[in-house]
Amino acid sequence: MREKFSQDKLDRCISCGYCLPACPTYKLTGNEESSPRGRITLMRAVQADKLPAIDLLQESSFCLGCRACEPVCPAGVEYGVLLEEMRDITWQGKNRPLIIRGLFAIVDSKLGMWALGLLSPTARKRSAEKDLHLMYGCFERRLFPSVSRAVAKLAPEVSCSSDQGCCGALHAHNGELERGKEMAKALSEKLPGTILTTAGGCAAHLASVIGGERVQEFSQWWVKREIELKPILKKGQKVRVGLQDSCHLRNGMGVFAEPREILKQLGDYVEVPGSADCCGAAGSYALLQKKNSRKVVSQKIADIKALNLDYIATVNPGCTRQLVTELRRARVKTKVIHLAELVAISHNK
Amino acid sequence: MSATDLVAKLTALLGNDVVRSDAVSLQAYSRDATPMFEGLPEVIVAPRNTAEVSKIVKFAHDTKTPIIARGAGSNLCAATVPLNGGIVMSMTNMNQILEVSKSEMIAIVQPGVTNLVLDQLVEKEGLRFVPDPGSRNVSTIGGNVATSAGGLRGLKYGTTRNYILGLEAVLGTGEVIRTGGRLVKDVAGYDVTRLLVGSEGTLAVFTEITVALAPRPEASKYGVAYFEDLAAAAAAVEKIITSGILPATLEFLDNTCLVAVEDFAHLGLDTKAGALLLFGDDGDLLSIEQSVNKMAEIAKASSGCRGVTLAADVAAAEALLYARRCSLPALARLSSLSILEDISVPRKAMAEVVKRIEAIGKSNGLRIGTFGHAGDGNLHPTIVLDKDNPREVAAAEKALAEIFALPLEFGGSITGEHGVGSAKLPYLEGKIGSANMQLQRNIKRVFDPAGILNPGRIGS
Repeated sequence: MREKFSQDKLDRCISCGYCLPACPTYKLTGNEESSPRGRITLMRAVQADKLPAIDLLQESSFCLGCRACEPVCPAGVEYGVLLEEMRDITWQGKNRPLIIRGLFAIVDSKLGMWALGLLSPTARKRSAEKDLHLMYGCFERRLFPSVSRAVAKLAPEVSCSSDQGCCGALHAHNGELERGKEMAKALSEKLPGTILTTAGGCAAHLASVIGGERVQEFSQWWVKREIELKPILKKGQKVRVGLQDSCHLRNGMGVFAEPREILKQLGDYVEVPGSADCCGAAGSYALLQKKNSRKVVSQKIADIKALNLDYIATVNPGCTRQLVTELRRARVKTKVIHLAELVAISHNK
Repeated sequence: MSATDLVAKLTALLGNDVVRSDAVSLQAYSRDATPMFEGLPEVIVAPRNTAEVSKIVKFAHDTKTPIIARGAGSNLCAATVPLNGGIVMSMTNMNQILEVSKSEMIAIVQPGVTNLVLDQLVEKEGLRFVPDPGSRNVSTIGGNVATSAGGLRGLKYGTTRNYILGLEAVLGTGEVIRTGGRLVKDVAGYDVTRLLVGSEGTLAVFTEITVALAPRPEASKYGVAYFEDLAAAAAAVEKIITSGILPATLEFLDNTCLVAVEDFAHLGLDTKAGALLLFGDDGDLLSIEQSVNKMAEIAKASSGCRGVTLAADVAAAEALLYARRCSLPALARLSSLSILEDISVPRKAMAEVVKRIEAIGKSNGLRIGTFGHAGDGNLHPTIVLDKDNPREVAAAEKALAEIFALPLEFGGSITGEHGVGSAKLPYLEGKIGSANMQLQRNIKRVFDPAGILNPGRIGS
């Protein structure tokens, strides 16, 4: 548990306010305290003992952590890190949400991870020659085991090992920054060489701890293979397909051209308005802040509906879950599918 | 009145949705984009319409409570820091574009609309909202009007004040007035519109703004020239303008900025040069081709020129513009605090003034980079210092006073486009004279008899 923020990271902010228009919670409220600049002003006040740290609790929970403020920041403020520190400071003891305590308990134990994998038909264990390991993710293996199967099918050179823990992104984003880093390191020892992941959030966390050169997110990795893909057809027509960016993949790692490049081969690609904006899943946010999460996603659901898409591709399991839930609620027929599975559909034909 | 009373009464008047007073909200509104100025307000209100604004101001008037109208809080002169406590009135909920008339080339907006949002909307009609302050993606039209914000196109197109046709505004008594309107020609009465532009929230609060739009130029073209020193660049600028060209863009960076930008953005700039001059124009393809080529020729033929390059395509032009736009953040990365200043001098004196700024940096042991608008003589000396180093902080204060003395010596102004706010108020009378200062105080009293609107700033 930490008590203070990294001063050099706070000092980077010049309070210009360029981040305001990019921030989903500022867009919702118009309130300065719910903007990245405003939150940094609050962090500075805590740092200078003008405000008790506990006062940060509400804003540290309201913030999605999408990091849309980072690419637009002229001063290069690492807001994502500051948010992790803010939660590290405030989400302690009784202030740690019960759901988070529960999730930690599951992925922190061998038994929990085993249970997550139980009856989840993920990719079969296999050892390939290449130093390339597929990461299953903790909740992705439970919720969407077909994603890892799709990748295993697409690439015989990928090794799949069942003995792998959580990457620690969950911890780092929810008030256990140091533990989150340790877990990433531990995972990197279990999976030597390059780690291939189908979750944008995990990719960004792993890259920030063990270095970007050891981490490949699926779309990054696939485009380098330069395999031509056949378009997916429906009634003789190319399918209409859109994308939901993963915030951390886009804003943290700068990866957004790659999934689009793939989708343009797979079908008739349509850029959904606001595809780069957070869908409101935001890791645990959809569980902790249901109402706000729904407010954030509502325009997106309307946009997807209006475009009459066959598929909306995702590159992160949280986004998949959020869009499946919300599109179903709105009775929209568009199918939500991970990019890797869509590639597998094309590849099998 | 106690803060608790204030909050209770405002809540009774307006309802819970509009009033906030928790410690976190108050802290968030305790500053704007100006470093080293801070003050806690007692309450935040966020009105949704003119009637609510009028009610709030009347309440402030009746109770003699200081009130500051605030847009995005991106100003750089501490014009919206609540140094006297009181009410901060956030205008960001009033963010509707009420009308765009293509045939009249006007738009009517609420004050909380951001500059870029308006420009993007009118672009669909082939029009442009011309004022382009550096903060345009975040700053509001209300804030732009309150500070008469400038930008990169000042020489050719003027600043915000040239584009405001009419206002609906709430006086310090709560009364609502209308000034000007949609007409190009209208000389009925004193030009109160023009008086309110740049009044920094001390005379009235804007609730509706009628702006003039312009046709969107077909294209733009840019080039860059390097010089041995700024004097050589300034001489080239003089030749360009006297040759009969009125370019949209003439920006410069001194060597300190140039090196900082190159270290930060790796654009392949000539870091050995004493000055970089970015030039460009907008208009129809043929005429900008001519004017930009001619500017390049003039620059090349000027003494002390190290080289000229024209941007071959949009990407190259963007890279050049980026070099200028990232000057401040690039400098800011050098240390923990950067103070961005804003003085304006006659173009002829520009090179000499920049030299003097360099000397001020040296004699005070400070790093100062200067960039700015070479076409209109608007300079942005930026002091980079360690905020935890008392020697540097004291040196910066001394250097600032010396810098503000320069425009007075050379017939310039203590602020070109950022405003007076609290940061420059001590220097205002020196610039405008005591009789004019007294007049400003008298004007303030007419608009705001109780002295509640942004107290402690211009004319208070």
